[in-house]
Amino acid sequence: MMQQEKVTVLWNEKIGPLYFRIGLSCNAGYSGAKPGQFVMIHFQDQMGPFLRRPFSIHKLISKNDGTKGIELLCKVVGEGTKKLSMCQKGDVLDILGPLGTGFSFTDHYRRIFIVAGGIGVAPMPFLASFLQAKGVETSGCTVFLGGRSKDDLLCEEDFLQLGMKTHMTTDDGSQGDQCLVTHPVEIAAEKKRPDIIYACGPWDMLTCVIHIAEKLNIPCQVSIETMMACGMGACLGCAVASHDEPVRYMHACVDGPVFESNILKI
Amino acid sequence: MVEKRPHTLINIGGIKIKNPVMTASGTFGYGREFEQLVDLNRLGAIIVKGLSNEPTKGNPPPRITETPCGMLNAIGLENVGISAFIKEKLPFLKTITTPTLVNIYGKKVSEYAELAERIDEIEDISGVEVNISCPNVKQGGVAFGAYPESASEVVRAVRERTSKLLMVKLSPNVTDISEIACRVEAAGADAISLINTITGMAIDIETRRPKLANITGGLSGPAIKPIALRMVWQVAQAVKIPVVGIGGIMTATDALEFLIAGAVAVQIGTANFVNPNATMEIIDGIESYLLERGITRLSDIIGTLDI
Repeated sequence: MMQQEKVTVLWNEKIGPLYFRIGLSCNAGYSGAKPGQFVMIHFQDQMGPFLRRPFSIHKLISKNDGTKGIELLCKVVGEGTKKLSMCQKGDVLDILGPLGTGFSFTDHYRRIFIVAGGIGVAPMPFLASFLQAKGVETSGCTVFLGGRSKDDLLCEEDFLQLGMKTHMTTDDGSQGDQCLVTHPVEIAAEKKRPDIIYACGPWDMLTCVIHIAEKLNIPCQVSIETMMACGMGACLGCAVASHDEPVRYMHACVDGPVFESNILKI
Repeated sequence: MVEKRPHTLINIGGIKIKNPVMTASGTFGYGREFEQLVDLNRLGAIIVKGLSNEPTKGNPPPRITETPCGMLNAIGLENVGISAFIKEKLPFLKTITTPTLVNIYGKKVSEYAELAERIDEIEDISGVEVNISCPNVKQGGVAFGAYPESASEVVRAVRERTSKLLMVKLSPNVTDISEIACRVEAAGADAISLINTITGMAIDIETRRPKLANITGGLSGPAIKPIALRMVWQVAQAVKIPVVGIGGIMTATDALEFLIAGAVAVQIGTANFVNPNATMEIIDGIESYLLERGITRLSDIIGTLDI
């Protein structure tokens, strides 16, 4: 159930110059959260961003001492994320969540591709542990991580720990193959077709993944990012065009942010 | 000693409203969206998303962008249409005790009249809010609200078809809002609500493209509050019917400013996006203000601006 609550920052861990992981202690509502769902954060600052900002749930926190909550993986891109990056343990944030429709899973999925570009990896560790909990053989899962440079390749350890294979690419060749992340995805998919592709990243990357999925007739779910004011279906600001003729508008906050790729206009 | 709660009941066009805090159309969905976050029965009134005769798909994205202390939107009145509203949304609204008003808009005067007639037949709806002020649709909306004659024509047509509460939502994008308010009053409106959003725009300097696909949009949020307050004050002096203040209200202090300026009630809009609990906090804040000052009736502060 969606809740608006004041939550306490448990930790704020810097990962390189631009990225950070922030742990939040939440009262309730998140044990039932699905991977791909998100929260809206209010910065409670007269001078700060006016609207809330959406962040996908990176991991669920459930500790032996009873601490429950969520972890977010964020990149400093503007005023709001800069403020968030400076939060300290004990600070209080106003969050609304869990929101949206996340990734869906069907029992027959065995061979699974996860494709993430840059900060698009944020929801994927939660998805990966969800898949493991669903009984998926993790050795059948391959995670393709792409970034501009090695500093933009995140979370590899999380996937390796779960027994998933990883494949990394960078634009500048500083780590992994020097190519777009979609290149090894296409080669691997042609070699042996996966049952599903889950993807999150820049729109250009997603359209390329969607083309590969279409060409090889692979089910594909993508998590997309849009401007959003409320995050809960009231403002109707986060319209996403469908591929129908005439076009129909869905809303990233309630119908998404995860969509079956074949219903999107690309 | 138990303090006596102040008397906040107001009467607008024959409808009893238990406190002056309403939700603004287009910011509160069809009510149900906020069910898990807000005690809907504590609200003064709910005004649902603007409805047209036929479903409206709205404008292409991007539809919103943030600006200093506010946001621009060009949603384009996306709505399910009156028939789907009655079938799918009304049953939930019937389960709550708070009066509901339906915001209506048409491309032609006759469409406003038809909508008013359909709503007049619905027992559980207390009235209509006539939207002659949406800046984001090509036809209808502000095309009617910008001129005294067409505004008055729409209101007359709606008045002929409904005996329910008839509130008219005015646009600030006009030269003399008081003149429009007077004409709307003369045409039979029971109440006036103002202001709708102020037309504005924002540009991405890298791409040199407008930040909204619609190019222009409606500005809302705290950025417009002083303008809204000024217009509410002007209109409240110009008409005898109740005035409902809207525009950038985030807190009880903001709401009280509008009440002192002459509004009998307020609508909370963009604040619902930022703080879904805003309406509850504003209801409590107004009550505390009255209690702390020993003011027993809300009506004792309305229009009491001391100049």
